[in-house]
Amino acid sequence: MSALILASILGVLLLYLGLWGNKKVLAPVGIAGLLGTLALIQSGWYMDFPMFDHMVRFDGFSKAFNGAMILITVLIFLFGIDYYEKMKEHVAEHYALMVFSLTGAFLLTSYSNLLVLFLGIEILSIPLYVLAGGKRHSFRSGEAAFKYFLLGSFATAFFLMGIALIYGVTASFDLGKVQAFAGSADGGTNMLFLLGLFFTAIGLSFKVAAVPFHFWSPDVYEGSPTLVTAFMSTVVKTAAFAGFYRLVDMTAMPEALSRTLLVMTILTLLVGNIVALRQSQFKRLMAYSSIAHSGFLLMALLSNGGLTPQVLFYYTFTYALATVGLFIVLTLAKRAANGDENIRIFRGLFRAKPWLAIVTMLLLLSLAGIPLTAGFIAKYQVFLLALEAGFIKTTVFAVIMAVVGIYYYVLVIREAFTPAATEPVLVVAPVNWFVVSLCGLSVVIFGALPWLLAY
Amino acid sequence: MVLLILLLLPLFTATLLVVTRPTNVARAIALVSSLVTLGLALWLWHTYTGQPVTVIDRDWVPAWGLRVLLGYDGTGLLMLLLTALMFPFIIAAGFKQDLRHPSFVNALLLYSQSFLLGVFMAQNAFLFYIFYELALLPVFFLLLYWGGERRRAITVRFFIYTLLGGLSLLFGIAYCVVQEPSHSADFSKLAALDLPFDVQVWLFWALFLAFAIKLPIFPFHSWQPDTYTMAPLQGTMVLAGVMLKMGLYGTLKFIFPIVPLGADHWRELVIWLSIFGAIYAAVIAFRQTDLKRLVAYSSLSHVGILTAGLFAWNTYGVSGSLYQAFAHAVLVIALLYIVGVVKDRVGSSEIGAMGGMKLKTPRLAALFLLVLLNAVALPLTQSFIGEWLMFNGLWQLENGGWITLAAVSTIVLGAIYMLYAYQRVMLGPDRWKLELNDADRHDHLFLIPLIAITLVLGVYPQPILDLVNGPVQQMLSTFTALN
Repeated sequence: MSALILASILGVLLLYLGLWGNKKVLAPVGIAGLLGTLALIQSGWYMDFPMFDHMVRFDGFSKAFNGAMILITVLIFLFGIDYYEKMKEHVAEHYALMVFSLTGAFLLTSYSNLLVLFLGIEILSIPLYVLAGGKRHSFRSGEAAFKYFLLGSFATAFFLMGIALIYGVTASFDLGKVQAFAGSADGGTNMLFLLGLFFTAIGLSFKVAAVPFHFWSPDVYEGSPTLVTAFMSTVVKTAAFAGFYRLVDMTAMPEALSRTLLVMTILTLLVGNIVALRQSQFKRLMAYSSIAHSGFLLMALLSNGGLTPQVLFYYTFTYALATVGLFIVLTLAKRAANGDENIRIFRGLFRAKPWLAIVTMLLLLSLAGIPLTAGFIAKYQVFLLALEAGFIKTTVFAVIMAVVGIYYYVLVIREAFTPAATEPVLVVAPVNWFVVSLCGLSVVIFGALPWLLAY
Repeated sequence: MVLLILLLLPLFTATLLVVTRPTNVARAIALVSSLVTLGLALWLWHTYTGQPVTVIDRDWVPAWGLRVLLGYDGTGLLMLLLTALMFPFIIAAGFKQDLRHPSFVNALLLYSQSFLLGVFMAQNAFLFYIFYELALLPVFFLLLYWGGERRRAITVRFFIYTLLGGLSLLFGIAYCVVQEPSHSADFSKLAALDLPFDVQVWLFWALFLAFAIKLPIFPFHSWQPDTYTMAPLQGTMVLAGVMLKMGLYGTLKFIFPIVPLGADHWRELVIWLSIFGAIYAAVIAFRQTDLKRLVAYSSLSHVGILTAGLFAWNTYGVSGSLYQAFAHAVLVIALLYIVGVVKDRVGSSEIGAMGGMKLKTPRLAALFLLVLLNAVALPLTQSFIGEWLMFNGLWQLENGGWITLAAVSTIVLGAIYMLYAYQRVMLGPDRWKLELNDADRHDHLFLIPLIAITLVLGVYPQPILDLVNGPVQQMLSTFTALN
């Protein structure tokens, strides 16, 4: 509870600091505040204690996910020091909105009432609609914001409808009561209940960009400022999956929901990986790769074994580390190439900045899932889960899709290690160098010593 | 302890080379490191008593069966010896090749050596898989940076092809680990896993696909000729000399112990595919106009017979196959070296541009001929022993007569394309206006030890056969129990 309050105050504080006009202090204050929040969460106060009249419950699960999301946000803020350097005004709003969005994410990982889930999604999303339009004079940015807002509202409507139906059947928003109903004989067959679950699942699938609710993500990723894209594809995705897991865990997985998830998993893996093959713009590539990774995460969700929360945590956190690093490298390369975002801009990276190229390779290998990187361990765990739950054919399919996935990551690695005709002039600020190296090293360390991330 | 040094020494030297980047002495450092590795491997052989050895046993991630379990038995030791013996030659071949950034080239070679040694000493399926995939990365960069003109597309194809196999293997391992009651991925535990027949029938392909691509056998071979041709000479030597033996060793470690029923079910198909591939490659090799590509197809042809011998699944077949794996490594490295020398002299590896070289370079021609004798499996060479054992093994099968007849025909075809190539390169009228340099001291130092190994082991094969006999008998006993 104290963490929630501190985070909200931090957002307001950052807004006031913006009025004061010194943008140099924003990132340090933001980071200090986030670390304070992290300390409060890790201290374990009010753990496993129903708060706000049984609305929110912090447990080991939310503690781990919140910690991961805060750390990722800290990395993004560090990236922001350099990213917002040229921007004259409204810098504080960007930081503050991200903190507000993070507060919503906290609710998503720890709700014990469906209304709080709804609140969490809205608090998470509304700042993002604004952030997506952060480049005010850019047509693409405005388009992204509008598209995200419209489709997001649409999904929210579905979601609310689902909650209403569930309420209609169980006469409660409380997770415990819903769970009791789902466990009863009626739970697997009641049409209204199943329809309600179906609609809520649609709402959350939109947030995680699962096919067929993924159409917004490439355009929004491409149009938004890179830093916001990084935030969306890491923190937001982590939060959405945490929320999704709590929902799925509540329902005892009736046949209808399991079928729905299975179809979505297969479609997501297929579309994400196949369409990514044809992308030449790096941000769009990352958007489809993000969809593909949603497919693997959905598979873990679908299997719903005892280890699912650990696997989701490991997967989302290591995926987020790799993604943040890559978006920073993209920003640097993009500056050297005058705003071009084609993957060609990575050409000659190894000649220009050998260390940066090696780290980029590690990050991409992790996303591709090559052994001794965290991405490999993550995928392997998902396969184990799915096999244990008996999804043998789906696992075979996922393995094939993982191979397809390797192709487009290797293309980028190949670019980075091909000498360019004219060497790109990359300027790497020390703080960016630090964050990228940290990401690169941590995917290797967590890949070699995966138990460090067990909770 | 020696085993651990064996694994870490190349890794350490490679990292040293990357960090300090010496230009002039990089090759010398790498060569010394590989010679020390060879010494250590020979020491292991010397102290080997015939019993499987486990050196290190540490938990890594027990929940998924991942353990650091290093050790070796006779077959593993043979592969370790092979790797340790080939790498000094592979590195020495670089002394004549003036590649850019020699420190990086040698570092990558040493990394691949370390990972390959890791593959052959891993006694845990998951650990095996990790080394198996890691060994791919150095070759990927060798190919991408120092390869021929069409390297960009070919590198990616090679990478994807091998990873497809790798992930399929991972899936197989994951399936086995889930089935294993204590969730262990140790080979010894997995071998005790008694999977039902209808599972083994498909699990066989999940596991074997990786090795079928790595070897490669028909129809999984399409990456091989291009990759072998486009890779830099040393890269091809690693791929053909050592790396494809991972496929052979993997088949021994995974297929026969874990899915014996599946292997028995598909055995005949695999044998026919291999032999068909061997004949097909031999015919194509005859038509090649590029010397390096010819070697690539000849390797494909040899590997086909190798796999068939392995799947004969009796004492003769399996020991012959392992013996031939050794012979093939020696042979292919010598052949590739000669291709490099000839290309160096003539300026191209097109066979059409050659001819009549014997008049200018008699000593090189003589060395080439000696190597060729091994390639066509003439008696008193190493290949003869290997091939003879394998044919014996194949003969004992049902329909053994037909299978052996088909397999023997590749020897005849092999002699035809090899001698035809020799004729086109070395014999014929003198068409060289300029002087061509004959084989120099370096060439002699490189080729004569290889030829000596071929002849010595061709006359006295017993040490190697003794080495593999124990594990082979043990493996076959499970098969006999099956019937």
